[in-house]
Amino acid sequence: MSENSPAIRFEGVTKRFGDFVAVDSLDLEIKSGEFFSLLGPSGCGKTTTLRMVAGFEQPSEGRIFLEGEPVETVPPYRRNVNTVFQSYALFEHLSIEDNVAFGLKRRKVEKDEIRRRVAEALELVELHGRGGVRPRELSGGQKQRVALARALVNRPSVLLLDEPLGALDLKLRKQMQVELKGIQREVGITFLYVTHDQEEALAMSDRIAVMDRGLIRQCGTPEDIYEHPTEPFVAGFIGVSNLLPGVCENGGVRLAGGAVCEARVPADCTSGAEVQLSVRPEKIAIDEEIGEGMVTVEGTIVERVYVGTSTQVIVELAAGVRLMALEQNWLRARSDDRWEIGDRVKLGWQPEHALVLR
Amino acid sequence: MSVDVARSPTTTRAEAPGAPSRPPKEFDRPRFLKLFTGVFFLFLFAPIVLVVLFSFNSSRSLQDFEGFSLRWYEQFFESESLRDSLIASIEIALITMLIATVLGTMLAYGLVRARTRWSDSFNVLMLIPLVTPEIVAGVSALLLFTQVGLELSVTTIVLAHITFSISYVTVVVRARLASLSLEVEEASMDLGATRWQTFRLVTLPALWPAVLAAGLLVFALSFDDFVLSFFTTGESPQPLPVRIWTQIRFGVRPTINAIGSFMLVVSVLSIGLALLIPRLFGRRESGLKVLLGREGA
Repeated sequence: MSENSPAIRFEGVTKRFGDFVAVDSLDLEIKSGEFFSLLGPSGCGKTTTLRMVAGFEQPSEGRIFLEGEPVETVPPYRRNVNTVFQSYALFEHLSIEDNVAFGLKRRKVEKDEIRRRVAEALELVELHGRGGVRPRELSGGQKQRVALARALVNRPSVLLLDEPLGALDLKLRKQMQVELKGIQREVGITFLYVTHDQEEALAMSDRIAVMDRGLIRQCGTPEDIYEHPTEPFVAGFIGVSNLLPGVCENGGVRLAGGAVCEARVPADCTSGAEVQLSVRPEKIAIDEEIGEGMVTVEGTIVERVYVGTSTQVIVELAAGVRLMALEQNWLRARSDDRWEIGDRVKLGWQPEHALVLR
Repeated sequence: MSVDVARSPTTTRAEAPGAPSRPPKEFDRPRFLKLFTGVFFLFLFAPIVLVVLFSFNSSRSLQDFEGFSLRWYEQFFESESLRDSLIASIEIALITMLIATVLGTMLAYGLVRARTRWSDSFNVLMLIPLVTPEIVAGVSALLLFTQVGLELSVTTIVLAHITFSISYVTVVVRARLASLSLEVEEASMDLGATRWQTFRLVTLPALWPAVLAAGLLVFALSFDDFVLSFFTTGESPQPLPVRIWTQIRFGVRPTINAIGSFMLVVSVLSIGLALLIPRLFGRRESGLKVLLGREGA
């Protein structure tokens, strides 16, 4: 086991279920100590990937290495990884303490040390003093903490998390995101995190791999993926994106409505090639907010949706070509004093915020 | 004023003036249902009550109750052959319970966890012993034992009983197992437990109430089984139900009432215990649901 080998390495890993290809020749390295997320819609192969690392599924092709060692012959109970399941999967007949101690007991750790480490783990997830309680007496959030403690107490080389916050309500989920990230920083264990929630992935990860239909579409830091998506799928899946169909022209894109927008066109994009122009709603300025050097377009407001912190303004540039802009509500108590549906408005954005995708 | 759904509008109007205002019932159940249920339970329990009553009769009469006495119970327990039969019956029921529970649980585990394209067929096949007419099962068991050259004895009864009891256990345990998420077993293996350790430390503790309840059910079924025992029993000792039948051929004596009442108590106790089991485990679900395989997660 070399010090510098990645925590997990996938080498051409493919997983088929009958004719269905769940994971398609996956090549990926996850660094030691990294918080790495697999992000994608359901059925994209992210959970299958995780289950192959845990050992619950065997790859149809390719190899997986844990800390440099191939693991295809290692059964789940001998892999130095632990999993936090979406359903928590706690042992209902055991107390919280015994749940957390389960892994250590299997590894024949000394009694005194078990007691010490269980107490430590419960402290880490802020459940100290509740060790004697049965799982059914806990709330969803607390159960999730127990599941986390039960996995972390074994000090695995990698912690696998399968949509661990999926069953919690929004507020608790946000709170747990912060805590999870904090815990990961504290223990320094590699986290492989599976989620379909892009906000969750952006908030916690060091790196994200966006998956779709068994393939990794893009892999990078949250900022990379949000600001510089390389494909329409990624731009559409991460956050909200306006995808406007158009054609490449020198130095810009001619939109379906006729307007030409200046944008950084990739070198291999010849004039006349069909592309999509992607602009994030929060980068779009409306009317008087438009600054110098911005690309501008004009359209009609067709819908306004008040969502609390901001108002989504949907503008139609030409028949069927719509853009969403965000109007921040920081100056107004109410937002309906500015435009009416049907008003003509100007929209503008910095050319570098418009991405040309194929 | 709300309208009573079950009654026709005309009657409502006719009753309305002067009639004392009763709170309308949500669904006015037809009266005859109550009567019907009452008659049903009367027919169900009256014979049993009579047997129990006359088992305490001081006279030989099966018509007139003349006074309280325990003489028929004394006769029952003092008769060596009856005592042997009782012991044989308990022995058969206990061994059947132990073996059928183990085998039935294993079968349930296989049916639920080893999902193959044959699973559905096996799930149906497994129910066959439950619907086979007992007389067919008895005759075929007898046929098999004589073919193989097995001498009829307590052993053959036990074998026959185990065969039909396994299905009961499987039905009850399978339902419980199906409600135990696979992730829980995966979590156990993930934490370093081998398959066997997982079964012993995680699966079995979750199944216990169902396994025990099924075992007691099997005990009760085996203890009072007549048809199968009749076909597979040896000369002596005969299990109690067969023994009663043999005795009745020489005339009905009040001892039968005592034996019957005693068997009733044993059966009711084991079923009652089976219903209580989940509560003894500190769980809130109902034992009836465990037995009927209808409990949730």
